Amino acid sequence: MEAQKLVWEGAIPLQIHLHESEVTTVPAPPPALILAPRIGYLPLLASLIKPHFSGTLPPGADTIWFEYNGLPLKWYIPTGVLFDLLSAEPERPWNLTVHFRGYPGSILIPCEGEESIKWSFINSLKEAAHIITGNCKNVMNMSQPDQVELWRSVLNVNLEAYLRVSSKLKLGIIGNQYTATSNLQSSKSGQSLGETDATGNVKIGRVPVRLYVRFVSEDIDDLEDAPHVDSWEKISYINRAIEIQGEGKCFTLRDALKSLLPEYFPENFLIDEEPSSVKGEDEQRGSTEDASDTRTKEGGEDLCEYVSACCQSVEGELKFVRIQGIEPKLETPFTWVVTNLINPDHFLHIIVLVKVPQLTV
Amino acid sequence: MTSTESPSSVRKVVVHLRATGDAPILKQAKFKIPGTDKFAKVIDFLRRQLHRETLFVYVNSAFSPNPDESVIDLYNNFGYDGKLVVNYACSMAWG
Repeated sequence: MEAQKLVWEGAIPLQIHLHESEVTTVPAPPPALILAPRIGYLPLLASLIKPHFSGTLPPGADTIWFEYNGLPLKWYIPTGVLFDLLSAEPERPWNLTVHFRGYPGSILIPCEGEESIKWSFINSLKEAAHIITGNCKNVMNMSQPDQVELWRSVLNVNLEAYLRVSSKLKLGIIGNQYTATSNLQSSKSGQSLGETDATGNVKIGRVPVRLYVRFVSEDIDDLEDAPHVDSWEKISYINRAIEIQGEGKCFTLRDALKSLLPEYFPENFLIDEEPSSVKGEDEQRGSTEDASDTRTKEGGEDLCEYVSACCQSVEGELKFVRIQGIEPKLETPFTWVVTNLINPDHFLHIIVLVKVPQLTV
Repeated sequence: MTSTESPSSVRKVVVHLRATGDAPILKQAKFKIPGTDKFAKVIDFLRRQLHRETLFVYVNSAFSPNPDESVIDLYNNFGYDGKLVVNYACSMAWG
């Protein structure tokens, strides 16, 4: 509960520049400084940003969109997720460029202001509900006033109002006792996870996940040197459900991620203590593989080792996992992650950075 | 955005297109498409077939996924009987 409050209060300091092609006055207007809620969406800031720049815009109709280092930002991804995924550390404030003209329709889907964003949010919620309960009835049967209130609670970043309305949806993946006690080892949480409702087809324990995988080249030591993402094609976007197994007691974030990205979790590969474990594994490999004399094989030992270490042919090493602005330890119980770091649309948005020998995407 | 290259993602998915409301019915309603394709491809295909710019496209008569989602993810999450059911309408059918 406390962590969820912190997530809702989270905000990104933005320094917003008007794109030079839309500046018609000299001198150019100064950038606008805005604190943007993490759980919000960029176009919702239009009413705050427009007054800064309205005096200088060329004639025409407004369609607001944002870019970061040349990459148009997808408006239906929460601001905090965009920041966690794309911003270069340690950039504060985050420098974004705003446009009011020339909407890049080939890259971004059309956005007609708040209505589009609300529509996208509700659809995301329905999708999550479908994954959790097997259908969207809870969301579709919601009264119009409740739906409006739910959306307004997100718009106004009002957690209390959100909890009041969203509790009617009965989309809790983890039992309420768990939230109340916040006791990670609570046996109650284990019991509530396996429950099905009277109809018998409700699958409690399925967590809807939107996973964003960004790849960086292995030869980059410092993330500050990582090149900017210049195309959405370079980011893998995966939408899957994570099933909490083993009654949830010992199911960790590592187990959860492993179920989605097994190729980056070779056996006995402990990425948390990265430097020591990589070294440790090297030694282990050395002792076992020297015996079978793999070093004489064609293709080099590195390749052989990689292929044998990974269950699949994809090579890569998990660099970090970011959820709602934090990098939780992989030992964190997944139920804690879900309870506290879930987005208001009931999806868990996870950002993963993978180091790969060569960039193939 | 692309989906990751894993052996399972090159699988083809059967998409069943169903007209809703007054939307015209297609001669061929079932298609096999690569799972790695984004949902945007399905939407574009329908737009071209029906010669309409504005189209509302849903999965399981319930929700509109965002166009970046891969067809294989949608199939795995929401498919049944070996296919992904996609409904299309010319006006908003499920708000």
